[in-house]
Amino acid sequence: MGLKTSNLTFDERVKKAKQDKFMQAAVGKAQDAQFEKRTRAREELGNWNGWRDLGEQIRQHVIKYLPDYLEEFSANIEKNGGHVYFAKTDVDATNYIKQVAKEKQVKKVVKSKSMVTTEIDLDKELLKLPGLSLMETDLAEFILQEDNWDEPTHIVFPTLHKNRDQVREVFQKIGYTGDNDPEHMGRFARKYLRQYFMEADLGITGCNFAIADNGMINLVTNEGNADLTMALPKTQIVVMGMERIVPSLKEAEVLDNLLCRSAVGQKLTSYCTFSAGKLADELDGPEDFHVVILDNGRSNALNTAFEPILQCIRCGACLNVCPVYRQIGGQGYGSIYPGPMGKVLSPVLDGGYENFGELPYACSLCGACSETCPVKIPLHELILEHRKVEMNKLHLDHSLNNVIFKTISVGTKTPILFKGALLGEHLALKPFSNKKENSVENLYPEGKVDKVPKIAPSLIHGWVDVRDLAEPPKVKENFRHWYDRHQKEKRGEING
Amino acid sequence: MAEVLKANDPKNREDFLDAIAKKANRPRHELKNDPLKLLNDLPETTLADKTPAELLDLAKKNSELIHVDFKTVKADQLAANLTKFIEEKEIKSLMLPSFAADKWADFEILDWKDELELEHLYFWDEANGRDNLINADKSDAAIGFADYLLAESGTITAATVKEQGRGFHFLPTHYLAIVPQSKILPRMRQAIDRYDEALKQDKLKTSNINFISGPSNSGDIEMVLIVGVHGPLDMTYVVIEDR
Ligand code: SF4
Repeated sequence: MGLKTSNLTFDERVKKAKQDKFMQAAVGKAQDAQFEKRTRAREELGNWNGWRDLGEQIRQHVIKYLPDYLEEFSANIEKNGGHVYFAKTDVDATNYIKQVAKEKQVKKVVKSKSMVTTEIDLDKELLKLPGLSLMETDLAEFILQEDNWDEPTHIVFPTLHKNRDQVREVFQKIGYTGDNDPEHMGRFARKYLRQYFMEADLGITGCNFAIADNGMINLVTNEGNADLTMALPKTQIVVMGMERIVPSLKEAEVLDNLLCRSAVGQKLTSYCTFSAGKLADELDGPEDFHVVILDNGRSNALNTAFEPILQCIRCGACLNVCPVYRQIGGQGYGSIYPGPMGKVLSPVLDGGYENFGELPYACSLCGACSETCPVKIPLHELILEHRKVEMNKLHLDHSLNNVIFKTISVGTKTPILFKGALLGEHLALKPFSNKKENSVENLYPEGKVDKVPKIAPSLIHGWVDVRDLAEPPKVKENFRHWYDRHQKEKRGEING
Repeated sequence: MAEVLKANDPKNREDFLDAIAKKANRPRHELKNDPLKLLNDLPETTLADKTPAELLDLAKKNSELIHVDFKTVKADQLAANLTKFIEEKEIKSLMLPSFAADKWADFEILDWKDELELEHLYFWDEANGRDNLINADKSDAAIGFADYLLAESGTITAATVKEQGRGFHFLPTHYLAIVPQSKILPRMRQAIDRYDEALKQDKLKTSNINFISGPSNSGDIEMVLIVGVHGPLDMTYVVIEDR
C-alpha cells in the first residue's frame, strides 16, 4: 500500500467519507469510549503530567543521540548472533527482506501488526516471490487482507470503519458459516490462523521500542499473535523505524506505561514482550534473527521544526480526540498515518507537499491533540508550521493571514476592543442564524446560511454542510445561563 | 536485485549513521558527555510504599478487572487446587514445564505431578526440541510458574528458559500460572529492575521476557471485547500465601 493510500483528491476523499454514516458513527463512538478509558487509566496512575515529562525527555534524548544509540543497539544484536541491516529507503528494506526470504526458501510468512511494514508496502513486494504466501495475523489486519487489502482507518484500530456484517461477509469468502457475533468470528479467525502459524517458516514483526543496551525488541500487543510470530517460525525479521529506540529496559518501561494507557486505556496490554533471537539451549524462537532499521524519510525531520514528530510512539490518542478525524475518518487523509500525527508526519516522510499538501489545512488548530499526546509533541504548532513552510515553498503570500492574526491578537489583548467585538458579534451574526437561542449543541444542519447558497457558495458550503452559524450568546450571559438553559432543554421544559 | 545486500556490514552501518548525524547537524559520539538522567522518580516511587498485604489485595483487584480467575491458597492446598482446575476445565491434554524435582517439591506439588493421570501429559522438554511447539498446540492447558506478579496491572512475568519456552504461554487453550506471594511487586518497574540486573550480571540468560496481563483479547470488530484471540482463552493465577 505504501504511505499514500489513495489516488483520489482530498475533496473526493472527504466527500466519500461524509457519505459513510456507519464509519462516522463508529469513529464518534470509539472516540467517546476511548476518552473515558484513557482518562480513567491516566487518573489512576496519578501525576500524569510528571509521566508525560519523562516520556518527552526520553524521546527527545534518544532523537538527539540517535546515531550513538543505533550503533550501540546494532552492536548488541550482532553480539547476540543476529543480523542488522540499515535501510535508507523502502526499496532497500524490501529488497533485503526479499533476499532473506529467497535465501531461506520461505513458503509461508506470518506477520504481526506493524505500521512500518505497511509504509514500505512489504506485503505486496513479498508476494511477488513465486511460491510464497503471507498472512497478516492481527485480527484487524487479517480482515483487511481478506477484504482485498482494504485501507486501514486508524493506527491502533485499523478496521474501525467496518461493521460486523461486513466482517462476516469477508469471512464467508474463506469458509465461515456462522452468525455475525464478533466472538464467534474471532474464534473462526483463531482456528484459521493457528493452522497457518504452525506451518510458517518466516515471521515478520514491527517494533514498539528497541533496547539499545541489550539488543532486545519490545512489542506491546493484546491478541498474542506477535508472540506466536516470535515463537514459531525459524526465521524472524523485525522492521523498525530508526527512531524507535530507547537506552535500556527502564526507559521502555516508562514508555510502555504511557503507550498502553494512551492507546487503549489499559495499564498494560495483555502482552508486553522483550525478545531477541533464541539462545542455543532454548527450544523455540527464531534461530535466525534479522532487524531492518529504516529511515525512509524520517531523517527529513532532523534539524527542522518538525524534529519533535520523531518522538511519536504511535499511541493514536491524538486521532481519538481530533474533531476532524471524527468527521472524515482515517481514509479521508489518504495516508496510512492519519489524524494529527499523520498530518505532521506524512509530508515529512514524503519529503514535500505534493501528495499531502492539503492535510495541514484539515485542522481547526484546537490543540486537543497536543494536550493529549503522552510525549508532549506540540502537534497543532507543527501543523501550523507546515502551512508556513508549504506557503513559502509555493511562494504564496501569507501576509493576509499575518494581518488577520495580528488584528485578532491586538483585539483580544485590548479590553475595550474585545468588549466591543463581543457586542458586535451578537448583532452581526444574528441575521444568519436560525437558532433563536444559543445552545450547547454544535450542529445546526437546517440553518439559514445553508439556504442562501449564492453568498460565496464554495467557501460557505465547506462550513455549512455539517453545521450552521450559531447565534453567539449575549454579552451579559455567562456559562451559568447556558447551563441552566441546557438543563431545561433536557427536561423538556423549553424547546431546543 | 543482482547486488547482495549485506547485514552486519560496517559500511552499511556507518554510511547510514553518518548521514543521520549530518542531517541532524550534530556530531556523533557525544552521548557519553550527556547521559540520560530522568527528571523525576515516578517510576520507582509510584505504589512503592505498599505493604505485602496491600499488594496482594491490589493484585487481586487488578487481575480480576482483566478477567483473570485469581486464587489465593496455602502451599498445602496447591495440589488440590490444580486438580480442581483440571477437572473444571475438562483438561484431557496438559503441558507442564520440565523444571527439576526440587522446584516442584518447593511448591509441595512433586507427588501431584508424578501421580498425574491424563490422556496426554506433555513436558516442555529438551528432548522434544521444536516439537514442544506442536505439543503445546495440542494441549488443552498449560500450568506454569511465573517469576513475578505485578500488583498495579495484574501482570505475571516469565523469562524464557529451556524448561519453559515462549510457545508454552501462548499455544495451549487454558492457562494457569503459579506464583508465591513474596514475588508480588508493585509495578512493572520493579520487575524490570530485577531482570535488567540479572541479565547484566549474567545471572539470567534468556532471549525473551513475557509480561502477560490476562487472557488474549481484541476489540477489532466494532470495538466489542473478544477474549481469547490467538493466546489462551482464559487465565488463572494461583498465589501461594506466604508462610
Ligand atoms: S503524536 Fe502523540 S498522541 Fe499522536 S500517536 Fe504520536 S504519541 Fe500518540
